[in-house]
Amino acid sequence: MSAPRERLQAAVRTARDGLRSVARIARWEIGRSAGVVDRRTAILGLVALLLAGAVGGAAMAAGGVALDRDVYRVGVDADGPYHEVVRESPALAPRPPDVGRLGDDIEVVVRDGRFYVADSQKGRAALSTFRDAVRRHNLNRMRDEQNVSAAFPVVVTLQYAERAPDEGVVAGGGASGTDDGDASRETTGDGGSGDGDGDGGGGDGGGGAGAGDGDFDAVGGASGDGPIGVPGFGGAGGLLGGGTSGSPADISPPFPFGALVLAFVFFIPMNFVIQPYGSSILNERINRRGELLLVAPVSPAAIVAGKTLPYLALLVGITAVVALAIGGSPVSVAAVAPIAALYLAATFVGGMFARSFKELTFVTVSISVFLTSYAFVPAIFTNVTPIALISPLTLVVHDLQGTGVTAAQYVFSTGPFYVGSAVCFLLGVGVYREEDMFTQRPVPLKFLDALNSRIDGRRSMAVLSALSIPFVFIAELLAIAVLFVLPVEVSIPLLLVAVATVEEVAKSVHVYAGFRGPFAGQRGWRTALVLGALSGFGFFVGEKFTAVVQFVGLPNLELGRAAFGSAGVAATPTVGLLLLLAPLALHATTTSIASLGATRSRRSYVAALVPAIAVHTAYNLAVVSSLG
Amino acid sequence: MIEVEDLRKTYGDFPAVVGSTFEVDGGEIFGVVGPNGAGKTTTLKMIAGLVEPTGGSATVAGFDASDPEMRRSLGFLPEESPLYEDMTARSYLDFFADLYDVPADVATERIEGTLDRLELDHRERRLGDVSKGMKRKVAIARSLVNDPDVLIYDEPASGLDPLTTNYVLEFVRELRDAGKTVLFSAHNLYHVESVCDRVAIMDRGEIVARGTVPEIRETYGTTEYRVFTSVPLDETEREGDRHVVTVADMDAVERLRERASDAGGEVVDIRTREPSLEDIFLDLAADAGADPRGVQ
Repeated sequence: MSAPRERLQAAVRTARDGLRSVARIARWEIGRSAGVVDRRTAILGLVALLLAGAVGGAAMAAGGVALDRDVYRVGVDADGPYHEVVRESPALAPRPPDVGRLGDDIEVVVRDGRFYVADSQKGRAALSTFRDAVRRHNLNRMRDEQNVSAAFPVVVTLQYAERAPDEGVVAGGGASGTDDGDASRETTGDGGSGDGDGDGGGGDGGGGAGAGDGDFDAVGGASGDGPIGVPGFGGAGGLLGGGTSGSPADISPPFPFGALVLAFVFFIPMNFVIQPYGSSILNERINRRGELLLVAPVSPAAIVAGKTLPYLALLVGITAVVALAIGGSPVSVAAVAPIAALYLAATFVGGMFARSFKELTFVTVSISVFLTSYAFVPAIFTNVTPIALISPLTLVVHDLQGTGVTAAQYVFSTGPFYVGSAVCFLLGVGVYREEDMFTQRPVPLKFLDALNSRIDGRRSMAVLSALSIPFVFIAELLAIAVLFVLPVEVSIPLLLVAVATVEEVAKSVHVYAGFRGPFAGQRGWRTALVLGALSGFGFFVGEKFTAVVQFVGLPNLELGRAAFGSAGVAATPTVGLLLLLAPLALHATTTSIASLGATRSRRSYVAALVPAIAVHTAYNLAVVSSLG
Repeated sequence: MIEVEDLRKTYGDFPAVVGSTFEVDGGEIFGVVGPNGAGKTTTLKMIAGLVEPTGGSATVAGFDASDPEMRRSLGFLPEESPLYEDMTARSYLDFFADLYDVPADVATERIEGTLDRLELDHRERRLGDVSKGMKRKVAIARSLVNDPDVLIYDEPASGLDPLTTNYVLEFVRELRDAGKTVLFSAHNLYHVESVCDRVAIMDRGEIVARGTVPEIRETYGTTEYRVFTSVPLDETEREGDRHVVTVADMDAVERLRERASDAGGEVVDIRTREPSLEDIFLDLAADAGADPRGVQ
């Protein structure tokens, strides 16, 4: 038998044995986890969950929970046309039309075709709510009409165009609400007024239309940066398939409220599942329980995979069920799966670093807050800006809206999560050994130990730098999302400093770890320069992968160009070669500066980071300026 | 069966083990003794493949200690009994048998047999609810689920009551008689002396003596002679109707015999007193204290 064939057979045998070990540990983990909660408690919990689900479902089916139920009292004749309006609106409660009680226990009275309003803030609020209720009522009646064009004679076509950055939001509040918006909007139609819903009596249309207009203007301002999805009519109406017909006053911001709420349901189980998972990992480290697994013929990677698999499978299973329940497709499951993986990966690292359950709780709460915010907040802008695609949850929103997801969008959104999960597991498995698992060291030192566990020679510096890219990517995208709300004159300089700081730390922290580990005996300046240059080179190579941003339209934003332009994404042919090599020189130089500081102490490392960040920021500024 | 060559381990600047070299033959109990912090546990863990050595090598049953295949030939018992307390003894042992690829029927037979020999009751009780002695027995049973040729037991009787300690030590002898090779560490020298065929004495990361207990006694210990005379001599003390003195060698005994004869009496009894391993260890440790690395 030939040697290659033998090697192949040996590899297959090893892989098969490894998978068998993973399966055994997974079975064991399931058995143990199931045994932690007794049957009665599990049944009680399940009943409570079902009850909560049923109540929530019933509330949703009934049109949602009305926190303002019966807050305003309206005096109307029981046989009058407004009685039905008041009865339909949760916030309004019908009362006899007694003008004498106005201001006491009635805010609005409708009598003999006239409206009497209590002279108070609550009275005015009640009138506004009443007006909205009348509009809704009329709109619903029109929607019930067989002849849609007769019910809605106005056709509005929205076209978005590029807009100068200094064009601000145009205040709404006009009477007609159709044509006084910003310049980026083109309105066509027969000029019908938005207040055509006017059997509601005096004071209807204007206010309602004004409100719609103001909202609309706000949306136009936010969406002028690039070719993005066209907002539908009505936030929930467009989202939930309400059609394209409606009143101009019905135009509202493209805020995907319904889809977001539904997408958020995916996060609830994650926050629960990471608790037992983190405890299971930490349990292995308490009282050296995991020591005997380490001496069994099973690799640490197989142990970790076996312990993680049940939780990942559970989360994916729950995700699939949730997706089925809310009308999501497999795209939603594929988008949420990497979030679940990163939740578990971060919790695993937390479980490996934490010294106690108290510390683990802090870690898991931090993970929950950070990842939920990171995934949820950008998704709010799903229909507004491509920045939203930094979150895989945006893909879910797109899926629920039926707007589709491209492969590039999927890679862009989920790539950092997949790679980030892999790197977290890689670091955690590195310290899944006797010498690190059972020692009580502070979390930062554990992190350095984890980095050191992956340092095997000088080349490791380049590899670790490249592997830091997903975290750098996430941090920089987060910085963009956070700074997005600020004026460009402020946000771009801040972003340049943030980007330089994130990248310099990412490139040099493992060099610092190395000088406290394998390179402790080689703290000369030559070693520092070599390690710094290698680390810079690795980062440069890894950075090229961030070019995926150009496939999702991020460079169309100024902040996107500022953050990723230096990666060569926006390079023109004339400066292509320069822009290709300049970042390499930059990364090698700045990392070498930090590396020189890292040879001595933590303080000198931090001190050396300052000039490294300064040089990096200056470079970024020069590039951004030269690119205009 | 176990070969250790210049094994070293350094934590930062601290040398935990300084060039240990020894070998353990098949079917013998080899003890590693020394005070707390002597480097016994680190040495055993390096041999078991749990701790990566800074230098040197260790092989077990022909496998390098870092080779995962080695673990199939090894049963390791750590100093503590870190069991999964939410599991029963039976399910715990079944799980580890499964990890070692032991067929289910073989595992059942082996586990039941071991638990019977260890007289372990409450096999279906959660491990968190059983006594420390029972836990220790379960841990020992776990080390045997894969029927290994080599056993590494770190302080197997640590923290146990005298009855359970004797039981465990007797069980270790039975394992040796069944052909197992046992590497055994303890700081209770009486345990080592009563169980081990050969020992290595460690202090401050270094092996300061090794061999069989008689060899060590001969090399490092001093036999004392208690000489009883019928007449008093200058150095003797009265003990009943006789007089006794302790001397260090046979020449001194001969001189006493002559002097007793001159005094009109005779030597009526001579008893030898062998030094215990503990005596030798204390002497060696005292010498090492004067010169930390210079005993051997």
